[in-house]
Amino acid sequence: MDIQFVGEHLLPGRLGQFFIILSFGSAILAAVSYYYATISGAFDNSWRRIARIATWLNTTAVVGIGACLFYIIYNHLFEYHYAWAHSSKALPVYYIISSFWEGQEGSFWLWTFWQGVLANVLIWRAKSWESPVLTIVMVSQAMLSSMLLGVEIFGTRVGSSPFILLRSAIEAPIFARPDYLSLIADGNGLNPLLQNYWMVIHPPTLFLGFASMIVPFAYAIAGLWTKRFHEWTKPVMPWALFAVMILGTGIVMGSFWAYEALNFGGFWAWDPVENASIIPWLTLIAAVHVLLAYKHSGHSYFTATFLTLISFVLVLYASFLTRSGILGETSVHAFTDLGMFWHLVIDVLIFAAIAVAFLVWRWKELPITKKDEETYSREFWLFIGALVLTVACVQIISSTSIPVFNAMFGTKVAPPVEPVQHYNKWQVPFAIVIALISGFAQFLKYKNTDSSKFFISIVVSLVAAAILTGILVYITKVYSNPMFILLTFAGLFSIIANGKLLGEALKGKWKLAGSAVAHIGFGLLLIGALVAAATNKVISVNNSGPIPIKGFEKENKSGENLMMYQNEPIKMDKYTITYLNDTTEGPNTYVKVNYKVYDKDGKVSEEFNLYPNVQINPKMGLIASPDTKHYIFHDVYTHLSSIAPPEGNHDHEGHTDEENYLDPSTHEVNIGDTVRYKTGFIVVKGINKDAKIKDISLNQNDIAVGMALEVNTPDGKYDAEPIYLLKAGQQPVDFGKNVDQAGLKLRFTKIDPAKKTLELMVYQKKPAEKKWIVLKAIVFPYINLFWAGSIIMVVGFLLSIFRRNKELKTA
Amino acid sequence: MKKSSIIGIIIIAIAIGVIISTYADSSTYANFSEAVKTQSELHVVGNLNKQKEMVYNPQEDANYFAFYMKDKSGVECKVVFNGTKPQDFEKSEQIVLTGKMQGDEFHASKILMKCPSKYNKDQVEVSAHTAQPSKI
Repeated sequence: MDIQFVGEHLLPGRLGQFFIILSFGSAILAAVSYYYATISGAFDNSWRRIARIATWLNTTAVVGIGACLFYIIYNHLFEYHYAWAHSSKALPVYYIISSFWEGQEGSFWLWTFWQGVLANVLIWRAKSWESPVLTIVMVSQAMLSSMLLGVEIFGTRVGSSPFILLRSAIEAPIFARPDYLSLIADGNGLNPLLQNYWMVIHPPTLFLGFASMIVPFAYAIAGLWTKRFHEWTKPVMPWALFAVMILGTGIVMGSFWAYEALNFGGFWAWDPVENASIIPWLTLIAAVHVLLAYKHSGHSYFTATFLTLISFVLVLYASFLTRSGILGETSVHAFTDLGMFWHLVIDVLIFAAIAVAFLVWRWKELPITKKDEETYSREFWLFIGALVLTVACVQIISSTSIPVFNAMFGTKVAPPVEPVQHYNKWQVPFAIVIALISGFAQFLKYKNTDSSKFFISIVVSLVAAAILTGILVYITKVYSNPMFILLTFAGLFSIIANGKLLGEALKGKWKLAGSAVAHIGFGLLLIGALVAAATNKVISVNNSGPIPIKGFEKENKSGENLMMYQNEPIKMDKYTITYLNDTTEGPNTYVKVNYKVYDKDGKVSEEFNLYPNVQINPKMGLIASPDTKHYIFHDVYTHLSSIAPPEGNHDHEGHTDEENYLDPSTHEVNIGDTVRYKTGFIVVKGINKDAKIKDISLNQNDIAVGMALEVNTPDGKYDAEPIYLLKAGQQPVDFGKNVDQAGLKLRFTKIDPAKKTLELMVYQKKPAEKKWIVLKAIVFPYINLFWAGSIIMVVGFLLSIFRRNKELKTA
Repeated sequence: MKKSSIIGIIIIAIAIGVIISTYADSSTYANFSEAVKTQSELHVVGNLNKQKEMVYNPQEDANYFAFYMKDKSGVECKVVFNGTKPQDFEKSEQIVLTGKMQGDEFHASKILMKCPSKYNKDQVEVSAHTAQPSKI
């Protein structure tokens, strides 16, 4: 029996699902039409016309999917699983955008959106390349749309639709009620870690990078397909550089987000998800260099094509790694499987098959030279550099793919215990070789170079680099490891050699500027990453106490987390730090930590406050975000590892005033006596025989006596008069007095006529539970070199794009 | 032979070396009884024993966290971690430890845990604000 559900908005979902089907269908139509447009040649425009219309239709459909999904999330239509799972009512609009791509479906949508945009740019700009290139792009578009289908075909669900209803996605008894929607008050909300402005711009940049990787792939296939083996290497250059630039920017943004918003304590962790995105980036950079070599010398055609093709296949492999759930036990931030494991595998295989098929088909016609390269030629070293980059990638892939091998061969190999050391061990030597080549290859000419001239010109740079290395290594203290010194040298050599080139570029050879700037940025990035990674120091080392850490005596490891009480300064490294207070803004609690540096005379020479925050999320527990003080030459990074539970937890009903006080002390006193308590003393000033008690009328036989007391605290004197009451024929009672300023409660409890003494009971307040935090602080020296290097490198790519674009127009 | 072919061969040789070394560096998944027999660091997968106590007193020592874990073969062992207690540790479904045995205790250098957090598991939460029958 069908239940009539109340309050559902089914239209946006149905419309969205229609757009998904439309985008899938139109992508296939466009791909097929472009295929026939390609093989029918330039004489017949009818296929191309259909293909263009299909492509535009596809773009419209993709935009339509986005609009429907946005409408659903924006209006909090929690009858849809996606809105329920990834957003909540309290979410500000700009984070609604991030919740858009928190889930896999949204990030697939983002990818198809960019790919659609690129397809339109290609229709506009690609001219004679339009048909073959767009055939491939639209095949990829069809594959991506199929990931969103969420339709059952032959009993298996293909893809995962963002428009699936909550009641279809999840089985629960409440969905048997027609009014189930009224029971669902709010969505699950966005993962607090993603509630960061970098998360609004990092994913779109990254996915534009991934999406643009299809274009070089499509050009390479188009070149093979239409036998324009040489021509494709020209128009592909700006596209390949664009992909490299955008993907590089996206990766660095992710790295910056991790550094600023996550408590990983670093900017690169060799996490499988990070590796997955950097591998295609490196292979495409290698491809760009070999393409240049081929363009100028006719050498290495196969390598250039192969690297261009494999880069996109590796993008798909990366999406398989991060989305299929296969990384489960090795990565903290991969997506979980949405039942698309095989779908993703097929995606990788289809494009790998396209690449292999075209290469095999045209194998005999490929313009492969039989000539040998000259050793003193630029193309030779471009080729070698690209190969070294590729081997570096092979290392990253093979380590990252351990779970894949486990799944394929049923083995149970665990990833390296210390991933950072494992990767660095390999990547540092590769980086040294690549940096050196990127320096001296600039002094070589294409075809051949006079070797003596070459050596004379590099010797100056080598010497300058050696001297600077000495200085830099001394300042940055990276002399612990000879490999680090070599890497510093290689990076500096690359900077100097390319700086020389930049000097010439400024004199008029502007064409060289892009490559010079990009390589300078690369050199800086290497040195920055090396120094920051090799010399960063945890300064919150807990070695103050005489008690070694239980159970760790043998290893003598000191902990990296420091416990501090509020307002109790602690000496940490050169800083004196104090936990001052905390403020709560919305769901976040910001803890104010004051850092001071005292000079020899005891004066404060440096002072700043950091506000690391925690969010006590009812669903995810405590989420910490660091705060960092940025200096030009170093950063002080601080994050909270733990915090005292918030107040009010002990506040349950049925407790008495007495519970707030320690056990009382009882004193027998007389006028003029002094009673000491923990932080002060009390003087018995006298007896008030006419004590009045509010609301109690006294008869003649009643005795009400007040004890006049003066409480002396370090902060001042307070008077108090507890009263002893003896009503005729009743048990005596007393009325105590609280002196809140002193944290005391005073009672006059007995009069002993025989001894002529009075009894005074002193209650002291329990010390309030002191607030505490546990924090970890790290100093990152010279990390700005890393960021600056990244930015300079991106600028270099941009300059190169302009140059190659201009070459296209003049050609 | 062409120079580039020779270099190609060298590169392939290095690549093979790299892959082999990856496996030399790699670790193994084991259980506690296997961990007792070796001094090398390895990975142990298991579940937190929620019945037994977890010790984390930052006031005493902010870098000492101890708990009991049952590995996949059901063997239980005390685990000591030189650091703070990971947030939401109680809710963890599965734990992957990296470390080695020291006497009777397993000393973990890294803890990776999987939580059944709402971000990867679907559980409809019915709000407490159920519709109140209106009073007439």
